[in-house]
This record gives sequence, structure tokens and C-alpha cells, in this order.
Amino acid sequence: MKNYDIIQHVTGRSLFIDDINVPNGILYAKVFYSQIAHGKILSVDLSEALSVRGVLRIITSVDIPGVNQIGGIVQDEKLLADDEVHFIGMPVALVIAESKFIAETAAQKIKVEYEKLPVITDPREAFSKGYLSIPPRIFSSGNVDTAWKECDFIEEGRCDSGGQEHLYLETQGAFSFPLEGGSIKVISSTQGPSAVQKTVADVLGISRNKVEVEVLRLGGGFGGKEDQASAWAALSALAASVMNKPVKLILSRHDDMIMTGKRNPYSSDFKIGLNKDGRILAYEVSFYQNSGASADLSPAILDRSLFHCTNSYFIPNVKATGYCCRTNVAPNTAFRGFGGPQGKFVIESAVYKAALKMNIPAYEIQRKNLIKEGQYFHYGQKAVNVMAEKTWNEAESQFNFESIRMNQKKFNAGNKLFKKGSAVMPICFGIAFTNTRMNQANALVNIYIDGSISFSTAAVEMGQGVNAKIREVISRVFSVSQDRIKNEPTNTTRSANTSPTAASSGADLNCNAVYIACSKILERLLLSAAEDLGENNSDNLKIKDESVYINDDKTTLDWNNLIENAYTKRISLCDYAHYATPELHFDKDTNKGTPFRYHVYGTAVTEVTVDCMRGIFKIDSVKAVHDFGTSLNPVIDLGQAEGALLQGLGWMTIEEIIHDKNGKLLSDLLSTYKVPDVHFAPGNVDIRFLKEPNPVGIFNSKAIGEPPLMYGIGVYFAIMNAVREFNSHAVPEFSAPFTPEKVLLKLYEKSDADGVRYESQTGEKSNIL
Amino acid sequence: MNTRISFLLNDNLISEELNPAAVLLDYLRSAGLTGTKEGCREGDCGACTVISGQIRNNTIVYRTVNSCLIPLMNVNGHHIVTIEGLNQKKNNLTPVQHYFINEGASQCGFCTPGFIVSATGFLLSGKDNSYDNIIDAIDGNICRCTGHNSIIRAVNDLAAEFSELPEDFHERIEYLIRRNVLPEFFRNIEEKLPHIKTMSGQKNGNETPKYFVGGGTDLFVQKPAEMLSSELTFLRSSDNLNEIFERDGFCFVGSGATVTDILNSPLIKDYFPGINEFSELFGSTPIRNSATLGGNINNASPIGDMTAFFLALDPEVILSGGTEERSVRLKNFFISYKKTVRKQNEFLKYLKFRIPGGEYFFNFEKVSKRTYLDIASVNSAVLLKLDNNFISDIHISAGGVFEIPKYLSAASEFLLGKNIDPEILRQAVEIADTEISPISDARGSERYKRLLLSRLIYAHFIKLFPNLIDIKETV
Repeated sequence: MKNYDIIQHVTGRSLFIDDINVPNGILYAKVFYSQIAHGKILSVDLSEALSVRGVLRIITSVDIPGVNQIGGIVQDEKLLADDEVHFIGMPVALVIAESKFIAETAAQKIKVEYEKLPVITDPREAFSKGYLSIPPRIFSSGNVDTAWKECDFIEEGRCDSGGQEHLYLETQGAFSFPLEGGSIKVISSTQGPSAVQKTVADVLGISRNKVEVEVLRLGGGFGGKEDQASAWAALSALAASVMNKPVKLILSRHDDMIMTGKRNPYSSDFKIGLNKDGRILAYEVSFYQNSGASADLSPAILDRSLFHCTNSYFIPNVKATGYCCRTNVAPNTAFRGFGGPQGKFVIESAVYKAALKMNIPAYEIQRKNLIKEGQYFHYGQKAVNVMAEKTWNEAESQFNFESIRMNQKKFNAGNKLFKKGSAVMPICFGIAFTNTRMNQANALVNIYIDGSISFSTAAVEMGQGVNAKIREVISRVFSVSQDRIKNEPTNTTRSANTSPTAASSGADLNCNAVYIACSKILERLLLSAAEDLGENNSDNLKIKDESVYINDDKTTLDWNNLIENAYTKRISLCDYAHYATPELHFDKDTNKGTPFRYHVYGTAVTEVTVDCMRGIFKIDSVKAVHDFGTSLNPVIDLGQAEGALLQGLGWMTIEEIIHDKNGKLLSDLLSTYKVPDVHFAPGNVDIRFLKEPNPVGIFNSKAIGEPPLMYGIGVYFAIMNAVREFNSHAVPEFSAPFTPEKVLLKLYEKSDADGVRYESQTGEKSNIL
Repeated sequence: MNTRISFLLNDNLISEELNPAAVLLDYLRSAGLTGTKEGCREGDCGACTVISGQIRNNTIVYRTVNSCLIPLMNVNGHHIVTIEGLNQKKNNLTPVQHYFINEGASQCGFCTPGFIVSATGFLLSGKDNSYDNIIDAIDGNICRCTGHNSIIRAVNDLAAEFSELPEDFHERIEYLIRRNVLPEFFRNIEEKLPHIKTMSGQKNGNETPKYFVGGGTDLFVQKPAEMLSSELTFLRSSDNLNEIFERDGFCFVGSGATVTDILNSPLIKDYFPGINEFSELFGSTPIRNSATLGGNINNASPIGDMTAFFLALDPEVILSGGTEERSVRLKNFFISYKKTVRKQNEFLKYLKFRIPGGEYFFNFEKVSKRTYLDIASVNSAVLLKLDNNFISDIHISAGGVFEIPKYLSAASEFLLGKNIDPEILRQAVEIADTEISPISDARGSERYKRLLLSRLIYAHFIKLFPNLIDIKETV
């Protein structure tokens, strides 16, 4: 049940792009990028850089033989700036040199003259000026306007959440080399090999069958390499094509942090209405999404915020509006959760604020409004196999919420310097690409004459164990040892026109495709076995533990013989299959349909202790009951849940993206952008398996990658509760991350506090710098 | 510019003409040892961690270091061990690797070799096998995938299995070889290492150096390219600068002493019995193993942790200009942002402070965005003496609130002769606030830093005198 890769990992033998043996004569590329956030390029002076010994060429936009356009959803992003620059970090030129060091030295000698234009980093400011990448998106159900009259309590407010740097440990990079006949091969650290193939083909002006993209594995992706790996692959391919030599481009950590986008920051307004029983009757929300300088995946991310704006709750009247606001920071992009976390933080803030007004605990409102079987989501999908109440009830009884509250009360009564707080966080997350046409996959399975098996899919291994899950599926279908099964690198010549490994769907899509391919081979093998064994048909035959059985009787025909015989009889041992997720449809005009195959649910409770002297805090525990379905691999799934959780906790607390008012990223290194470390990890993480089989999942499993990240949102409210135990004057505000700075200011906020407002980091904070 | 660099790399002797300011990471990867990864090049991720062994007092001391920040000159004569050097023959796994696999403590795998090296380095170091210690051993390694929980389980399993490590170095090495933690070649290192000839020349050229290099943990973050082409003197080559000793009622700390050397020093532990409480707030294990006191002071960062710590002892620094030496009070050493009174040809030899006597109290506070392995938003230390409940001597330092490490002279002076009560403290905090001028940056707004320093001054007293100060009276 182990992730096969892990043996390579612990011995340091796993190869990442920068580890692959390079051919002689390889050249190195370094990107020169814009030093200002918005402006016109007046002149580019390359002369001094070109005079550095060992520099072979500097590529600019004029060297692009195809199109200078890499935008995925909206065609609004140039590979290399020609007339204007839109953010600090936008590529302008590519230095090609004999060594990495020479390329870096030369890049510093490129001089560009700009005419500066106004810089916008705040999405609300962009909105007010009309800088939207797509028209506003509105999801609605019921009628909020008439529903307000029914409400006994109405609360309004504002909520901000910050960006998040992916911080995959392996930085972005690619390595390209020309093949014969004008073809090119690109080794890329990408979640989307077909997207890289398309981009490279477009930029080079060649057809896609001349571009071979291969991915061995990624040193982390988290969404950051879904769309944004393409630029570096295209630049290295462009360089390789221009020079007719192999070229490697690996971003330094600093360049990666400056040039690549992050999780979209959001600023939102909410209005929530409840009756006196605590039932939510209406919810209205406007999301101002900071998309950065180009659309990238932001429109799709915005849609997922709209889908998940009600989290796990059934709300009869909903109006959610999303604005994709263009600013002068690096184009923001996919990050685990893909807009879901941003949407959920707002509804949880609204619930928290309503609870304060009604003077009841937030969990009473949360519990009362959980969606039930047969109710409809606001996008028109019927909720089936709902596990919202089930995970809540299991969590409540297994972790004893009441005793958590009592212990906390006792602790707080006896402690002046430290205060504890807790919060419950339910989650609900839809599984499928919300762009329906992306829900397809293909797979190639080869059995070799010696009985060994290889498979090729579009699944990109980035530590999530997708290949281990596929191996599990193959091993179950053929009932053979996993030791016989090997994955091939992901390659566009074997897996064409595929979707990125994203949206938590990598295992679902690719396991299903592999399952179909294996089933086709199995059918032929059993027919062959029937012939070998003198049976009329294969109805009573099966393979079990590498032997053929007739009913429950083991025969002498084992796997090796079976394969060898089939080959001799000229029966195909290989197959290819295609899978399209069934029953999906969504109307983008009415914003109604069944966009998801199923939903993943869960409930977590988070406890924190705040140090009231210093404004720092420790997350004591996060305990959850999570809807894993029937796990294909519990070790891998638990690891995914724990890892996602910690990223969520980091996003809510210490991971702070800061830009100054000139659009300069201040958190541009690991010394200024802090991700959770071993000490930050909660002392007690207890994630339990709700083992309800998923009727529509492969072997009844469920997707795992993204949903548990959203448990992290609970920590915000747990900290707020602890702070209010120390300072009852503290006015709750909703501005993540809840950094030690904000905690200390809240702890010592006076009742008559004026001007204490925490704006989004692209807002007020930038003005004080 | 090249110098002969000689060291043992796993079980091979390396002796080559190399740029002494090239960093070890680049050497290793160009030599094909790609298990050591580049994650950040600033000692903040640990993907490049290696073990460095050095002869000290006739035995080998093994410590983990960040290879991205170690200039080759600083590995001269050392035994460097990478993940490749830990791997067992064929496909056998070490117990460390086994536990990581068992707990699923590796996902994408990029950070994993660094964790394996750190955990193995811990078993080699001979430290107590307590939970806290083994967690500290991996505090310089960042994993973005696992959430660290499975890694914590793996190192706990490891600590449980290896709870009875022999104290004696030879016995420990034999034991670890027998238990497949280390390959056989480790047995012969102690014999081979002293025979490696290293160049004694400290200088990279003959002129007055542009930089004196200590551990390199700051210089090689800030200006790696400049280091490659500058005149440098490597102070770590000179053993006597590592010493920590007592003379005539003063304690001398050599500028080449690493943070780890200082924390392990029996003298320092004796003067500051509580030092272990703060020690893990300084950098990370591999950084503490490389970063020197001299580097931390000379860097003159307003936020240096060791500087803030020692500034509260009101010490002197001894500067050496070759033949001449002079002494300067540390509080007068800093002139303006990153500027000190040190002349180009001088290097910091010792820090010298009077050994505190009588009923004295010491405390250090640091708050950063992430509690560990982070640069402080504000740090502060206090040393004070009580005479019949009156303060008879007091020194308060504060980092991160001024262009230089700040000695809070007015606040300290105000408190002299006073008793400890909330009103007195309130006044002292107000005075301190007039002495500082913090700026808004990635580590916090000015407003926050002012509030934070005031809370840390209160925290000193609440912690040292819990019966005298109630936090509610300070709000």
C-alpha cells in the first residue's frame, strides 16, 4: 500500500528536472523581468548584457515565431512584454548563456526605460475603475430581495482573505531540446502537460504533434503548476528552438516568488438574514477577486467561489456576485481549493457575526443549517449521499464538543496570561472540473510478455500518490502483485488532449480510464484462459492472486502462463481507454445544472491557545471526521488530509503576501514569507475516517486533494474566540491571515478604538509602507 | 583566486583547486550528488542539509548544516556526508528511511533527503533522545506536502527505537553501523580525517580583505555573487576564535563561536540557566551550527537575536587590526543602519562581558510571524539586579525598533533605583517608546512594533516577577 516513489525519495534517488543528466553543450536561460508594476516600455538596451563573456543571445518578443500569447481562458497574457508591462516580474527578455551564473550576471545588465503608469493593487479600486477581466458573474436562487423581510436578524459586513504562495519546494522550470524535423521535446515541471504542449506549439508556430511534453514528477504543485508552468516551458522551448541546442530554465526561489501568481486575494461584502430560530433565510455576497495582471485561471476560480459560497449550508435565497478584478500584481492562479476556501471564509464570517448579534454560539447556526439529503444547492444540483450532518454528529460525539468547551472554560478561568478558544468548521466541496468538457481522461495499459505491466496516463505525480492509487486499481482488476506494475512518465505522445492533474480529480479520472483499459484486456485474457482450460466460455473464470480460478477452484494456469499463451495466440496484451465523467452538465448562462459528480463533506474542531502577553498562539489540536469514502489507500489519503489542513491553517494565520503601493512584493523570500514548520504543526491532529462508500467513486473511493484544506478556516474563529476571552472589547473583524500582529492589536484594542481596521494586504497595509 | 580545498566527501577524499567562496551545494550537485536539493539558497528550507564532521578536542563532532550557505573554505578538512553517503548498499534501507516510508512521511520527495540527513545527523550528534530534541533536529527543514504530522510520527518512532544511544563517540559510531544507520566507512573516518592536509592561508589574496567571513549564513544569503569575486578572510579556519572562557571575572566569547557552541558552553549555561528556553528561537539547528557570534554582531542587523541577547549584558567587543587591538562597548559599536565603528582591516575577536554576580535576573523575548526559524518582528533582553526589592542595575535591549540594535538607555536609567510595580513599568514603557523609531515592513507595521516592544518589556517583568505584576494591571 506504499507510495512506490517513496523509496526513491528517502534515498535521494528521485529525479526532478534539475537532477536529470544534461547533454553536452546544454545552455542555460535566465528571465529578465519588469522592475515596475505598470508602464510603457520606451527602450530596451541589451548591449552591456550581450558583452558579458559566455552570453550567446538574448531573446525578446520579436524572436517569437508563433504568437506572443499564453492566456488560457482569456487571451490577455503575453509571454514576453513588448509594448507594456503589467506587473513587477513580467518577463521581458531571456538571456541564454553557457552557465547559469553567467546568465544571471548578464541579466542584471539589461537596461529598460519605462514610462510609468498608475499602479493598482487593490481589487476594489480596480473594480471602481472598471478593470474587469470578464463580465460580472451572478449565481442566484430564490429571491433575496423579498426574503430580507422574513428575517428576524440581518447582519452585514466585510471580509478579506489574503493571497498564498504555493511554495512547492521544487521551483518552476523546464528543459527543452530540439528533435529532428522541427520537433521539440520539453521536460516540464507541470501539472498540465497538454497545456504546455499547446502553449509551446502556439509560441513556436508549429502543430501540436511536433511538441512532446514529458513530466517525470513534480516537487510539489498545489495548483501553482497547473497553468503557470507553461510560460517557463515555452521560454525554454523558444530558446532551444532559436539556438537549436538544449536549454534549461530553472527559476531561483526569488524569481519564482516574484514572477508567479499566488492564491487570489479576495475582498468581499456579505449580508446574511436569519429567523429567530437561527435558520439562514437569505445570503447575499459580492466577491472582489484580485486576479492580478491577467485572467489566467481566475475566472474559473471565481466560479468555484460562487459554487461554494454557502459552504455546507442549505440557504433558500442566495445571490452571489463575482468580479474578476485586474490589478498590477503577478497573475494570480489556482491554489488547492481553487476559490472554494475564499468563498467559505466569507459565509463563516457572516455566520460568526450573526451569532454574536443573536447572542448564541456560532456552532448552533452552523449545525442547524447543514444541507440535507434531497435539498438543492443554489446552482441547481440536488444534494445526494449527503454527509454533512453525519460527519458533524460523528465529530461531536467522537471528540465530545461539550468537554472541549468545558475544559476551555476551566482553563480560561484559571489563566490570566493564556486564553484558549475553539471553533467548528464543516466543509462541503464539489468534485469535478466545473468546466464540464475537462472531465475526461485516457489511459494506456501494456502487459509485457514476462507478465510485467506498465501504464501511462495524464496523471502527474506530485506527491499526492496518484500513481500508487492507479497501481492499486490495476492490481485489483488483474489480481496481481503491485510489484509487477510500473508507471511511465506522463507524456503527451501517450496521453493526448488531457486535462491538468487538478481539481482533486486526478485519481478519479485516471483510475477510471485505467480501469476501463484493464477491463478490456481482462476480458480477452479470460477468454484466452477459457480456451487454455477447455472451458466453453469465461463466465466462471476469474484471476485471483495471480492464478486463474474456475469458480473457487484454483487451476494450474498462473499469470505468467496466461500472458505467454495469450501472446502466442496473438491476443493483444495492451489497451487504451477513454473515460468521460457521466451525468455532468452546466448551463453557463443560467448558472444552473449538475456541475459535480459528487460532494465531499467533513467536520473539524480546532482548539488554540493565545499567549496574551505576546500576541502569538499555538494551535493545540485539529480533530476532524472526514468523508473519505472507501479509501483506495488510507496512508496516502491521511497524508493528503493532514497536508492540506496545514496549508489551510497557514493561509489563515502566518502566510502573508504583502505588496507595497508600487506593486512590489515584500514577502519575496522564505525569510519574509513564512509557511508552517514542524513547530507550527498542531500538537494533536486527529483526522478520522468516515467510511461511507461513495456509490459513484472508483472502488467507492472519494477525491481527497483539496477539501481538507478548508478545515483550516476554523482556526481564524478559534483565535478570535480566545482573543475575546482576554479582551471583551475586541471587535471581531474578518481579515485573514490572522497574523501575530493582528492578534496583538486585537488583544489590546480599546473599547473606543478608532481607525483599527485591517484591510486586505493589498489595501491599507500598502499605504503605511 | 582558486585555493586547494581538501575534505572527505562521504568516503572519498576530495582535493581540488576551487573557488573557496563557491558554496558546497553547487559543488555537490555539479559532482552528480543530486540528492542534495536547492530549495531557497538562504538556509530557510533545509532541502540542502548535509552533515559536517570536524575534529574537535581529538574527536569528531558531527553537525547538520545548510550546504547552500557554506563556502568551500569552511569545509576544508571536514567530513561532509550527503544522502548518498548514508544510503546502504543495494536496496537496503536505513532505519531512518524505513520509518519515513512506514509513516508515509514523504509525498513529493523534494524535501525528503534533507529530513533524512537531519534525523540521521541527530543520531550522530549524541544529543539526548528526548522528544523536544528530535523535533529541534528537524526544525530547519520545511515540508510543504505532509503537514509534518507523519514526519513527527516517523522521528518519534526513530527516537523510541534509538533511545539508548551510547554516549562514547566510538561506541556510538559502532552501534549506528551495526544498526544500519550508517555505512561501514564511518568506522575509518576518525583515522583518515586528521591526515587531510588543508591550506593554512586564510586569505583569498594578499590585500586587506573586503569581508571577514564567519559562518557565512548572512553574507552568502545577501551577496553570493560578490563573495565569489571578493577578497575574503575566513575566520572559521582559526580555531582559537571558537573558544569561550572566563578570565578575571569576565567571560570571553570568541567571535567564531557558533550559536550552538555558545548554547553548549558549560560557562554560558552556568550564567544563564534558563538559556535553553530561548535557544530554539535563534534560527534553526543547521543555522545555529554555522552562524557565528561575530557574524551576528558585525552584520549589524537591527534585529540580530544574539546581538539583542548580549546587548543586555552591556558587554565590550575586542577588535583586532592585526597587531593592534582595541575595545569598544557594544552599545557604542553600532553607528547607523548596518554601519559600525569597525575599520576595514579589523575583525571582531571577542565579546567580553562581566560575569553577573549577586541576585540578578535575565530574560530574553522574541516575537516573529512564525515562532521558530523566523526573523523577529521585535526582540528584547533584560538583565537586572535587585537590592532589597529595588533595582540596583538594569540593562534593556531592543531589536527591530531602531536602525541599529537598540540599547534602551533612558528606560534602563529610569528604572534604576525604582521598585517593580505596574505604574513604574508603565512609565518605563512610555520612555522606551520615545527612544525607538520602528519602520513598517514585512515584519510588521510601526504601530505594531511599538505595541509589541511595550508588551515585551511587560513580559520580562511578568515572567521574572509573576507575583509583582498582574497582566491586567498593564493593559
